[in-house]
Amino acid sequence: MIGVQNLSVSFGAVQALRGVSFQAQTGSITAVLGANGAGKTTLLRTISGLIKPASGDVTFDEKTITNEPTEDIARMGVAHVPEGRGVIAEFTVEENLRLGALASKVNIAEGLERQYAQFPVLGQRRKQFAATLSGGERQMLAMGRALIANPKVLLLDEPSLGLAPLVTAELMGTIKQLCAEQSLTVLLVEQNAKSALRIADHAVVLHVGAVVADDAAAAVAADTRLRQYYLGLNEQ
Amino acid sequence: MIASIFASRILNDLLGGITAGVVIGLVALSLVLIWQSTHVLNFAQGAMAMFATYIGMTQLDHHLNYWVCALISVAAGFVLGGATERVLVRPLYGKADINPIVVMVGFLSLLEAIAAAIWSGTPRFIDPPFSSIFFQSDGAPTGLSPFALFQIIAAISVMAATALLFRFTKLGLQLRASALAPEVARLLGVRVNRLLTLGWALSTAVGAVAAVIISTGDTGLYPANMETVFIAGFIAAAIGGLESPGGALLAGVVIGVVMQFVNDYFNSGYAGFVGVILLIVSLLIRPQGLFTKNAQRRV
Amino acid sequence: MNFLRQNTTTRRLVVTVSSIVALMGLTFVVPPITNSTLTRGAAIVIAILGLNFLTGWSGQVSIGHAGFMAFGAFGTAILLKHFSSLPIAATMLLATALSALAGLLVGIPATRLSGPYLAGMTLAFGAAVPPLIQNLSSLTGGPAGLQLETIPTAPSWLRSLRHDTTSLITVNAQWLAMFSLLVVGVAVMLMSNLHASRTGRAMRLVRDNDVAAELVGLNLPRTRVLAFTISAAYAGLAGSLMAFTKGSVSPQDFLVGLSITILSLMVLGGIGTISGAILGGVIYAYSDNFLSWLTNSTGIDPYSNLGSNLKTIFFGGLLIVTMLTAPRGISGLISKVFAKVRTSR
Repeated sequence: MIGVQNLSVSFGAVQALRGVSFQAQTGSITAVLGANGAGKTTLLRTISGLIKPASGDVTFDEKTITNEPTEDIARMGVAHVPEGRGVIAEFTVEENLRLGALASKVNIAEGLERQYAQFPVLGQRRKQFAATLSGGERQMLAMGRALIANPKVLLLDEPSLGLAPLVTAELMGTIKQLCAEQSLTVLLVEQNAKSALRIADHAVVLHVGAVVADDAAAAVAADTRLRQYYLGLNEQ
Repeated sequence: MIASIFASRILNDLLGGITAGVVIGLVALSLVLIWQSTHVLNFAQGAMAMFATYIGMTQLDHHLNYWVCALISVAAGFVLGGATERVLVRPLYGKADINPIVVMVGFLSLLEAIAAAIWSGTPRFIDPPFSSIFFQSDGAPTGLSPFALFQIIAAISVMAATALLFRFTKLGLQLRASALAPEVARLLGVRVNRLLTLGWALSTAVGAVAAVIISTGDTGLYPANMETVFIAGFIAAAIGGLESPGGALLAGVVIGVVMQFVNDYFNSGYAGFVGVILLIVSLLIRPQGLFTKNAQRRV
Repeated sequence: MNFLRQNTTTRRLVVTVSSIVALMGLTFVVPPITNSTLTRGAAIVIAILGLNFLTGWSGQVSIGHAGFMAFGAFGTAILLKHFSSLPIAATMLLATALSALAGLLVGIPATRLSGPYLAGMTLAFGAAVPPLIQNLSSLTGGPAGLQLETIPTAPSWLRSLRHDTTSLITVNAQWLAMFSLLVVGVAVMLMSNLHASRTGRAMRLVRDNDVAAELVGLNLPRTRVLAFTISAAYAGLAGSLMAFTKGSVSPQDFLVGLSITILSLMVLGGIGTISGAILGGVIYAYSDNFLSWLTNSTGIDPYSNLGSNLKTIFFGGLLIVTMLTAPRGISGLISKVFAKVRTSR
């Protein structure tokens, strides 16, 4: 379980988050939705300690982690797949995966096998440089690299960005399956509200740094006002 | 007969140049290691290596074995490098280029002055562990001595060990990741700050190997004894591309050989200028360095 | 005094000329040793002004300015050796031009590089100059260097102004101080005009933001080369003044240590400010006095290993501390204090 209480973040004069609070439950997917600039990425970066908040707290399994350094938060089992995926292009697929496993106690050989089984395409390309992968393959690699350390929480920042609809659908299916199998806490930041709401259990909607809705995914999906004003989903 | 004398002189210079060149390459490698991880050009690198060598080699006065002293020097370099990163360099990350340059230049003069204050400016001569008399071939000297051969082997071994460390070990993987993508590395739980410290420690240890080699034999150990070789090492690193350890080594050997020929056929006073000209020419041909793969570089 | 406010160029001229005249007046009353001390600092002020122009106003840094000073100094000595009747001012100008030319030649490739690469290249250049001079002995006198054929000596009007009891050495020392003050005055004057000029503003734009500078249509490489050349010219002038005031030149006077000293003094005084350069020169001039005070008060033998390296240790440490804690140097601290006083009123 991961949550934030009254979280506020400022960049100079700009307030990126204004008193954001919510909880993401273990074994469920929480979608964080909102337009560009709503503060979604800032939220994830604050949770993983890359940004220190002006006020408020981040809690992980009842423990306050607000002031822990990023690397310690990662070692506790919070895996953050950043926007643009953060795959190291100069590394091979296998080197990227190994890097993900180093900070944990996981047996690297076993971990690699598990990820190759989960994402067969990575196994086929294990000796290739990540620079040669397609967008979808890079997303798989970033996910595999995060999962290899057996995390408890998975923070995904715009995983569907730049992916074809079919690939996105497949990816969302994988996320749902992983969440259920490994009882992960998934925080899914998406601009693509439609795809995200399809798999999410719960949804939080942000608007210029503040929470405007925090409800079951189905309820958010059914709310016409939210759909129209904040999610950009037109009625069909 | 004349042809053979001439040929032997060329061979002499070539071997002498290679011997000097591998050490220049080692200095260049040490610069590249730090540049890659922290984007600081360490102007105090030569002075730090010199200082570490003093710490180790003055133990000869306590009748310690040469090899033990050499080992102490390298260990001292390791510690000094790590401490320097923690105390002097860490506050400078993200600052304008000039800040680390000035601090490291200040550290260079500080270390040289402290060394002179503690151990005096008079060179100490350290007997080489192997003979420095040239091997003979048909009664003529070859330009290569057992000690020179040791220099070459030692320098190449250190370079190979560094390359293996970076390419094939867990530590190397984390070091490379910290240099290439520090934020991503931190998100994966890599303790980037520690690794940057370790990078400086390793680099200074490599520099100390070069300084131990240089200080043994004719040059002697004195506070400014790394200045010339540091500049040659910088030129090699710049020609080879500050991103490319292999390129830095190769450029080091080329510079060593060229300078040896200049010393022999012209005048040792011109060697420094020839180095500057080599640098200028290479930068005009290929500003990103002659051996870097990708064209983009943060110059 | 209204015209002072209206025309900044006139104001600068009046301020500089009156300070120089006042300082020249002082040379009559201060002890001769003070005049020699002032003379020693003068060349350094000019060298710092030059480095300042490069670093403070265009964002590049050089660790090889002693090399350009050597061009100015040896240019002066060699010119006088061959044309001993050449007027002092003409010799200085020619030596400065020679150094500017060297600056141009180094600057064209060097300014293609940024930050640390440029610094490394200037270091390589600066380190290469003294051995080169030593080995061109037919021209430069080799390791021993050259004696100057002409040095500035006190004119008869100055000698008659002072009492007959004043020794010729004292009067000559005073004249050298006056001469140095005049050269520094001209250098400061030119630099402050340059700072206010279009070129000066262009340089600062290049320093602060490459992209913005390109957007407003500045030719970046040319601006950088120009900054480098002007900077080298100032170093050359400093070298020439040094030669005239010392009466001799030697390759040992222009080692890398001097480049580092100038860089340190620039940072201590305050990067990018004329007042910082003048402060730097004063610090240099009085550093020996400070050192003897330091050795006296700590009881360190000045001829011991520690004593003879104390100056470098002190200034090296001070440089690091300054850069880490107050990177704008003394003049930055002073203007901070002034700003505080002003706001608290």
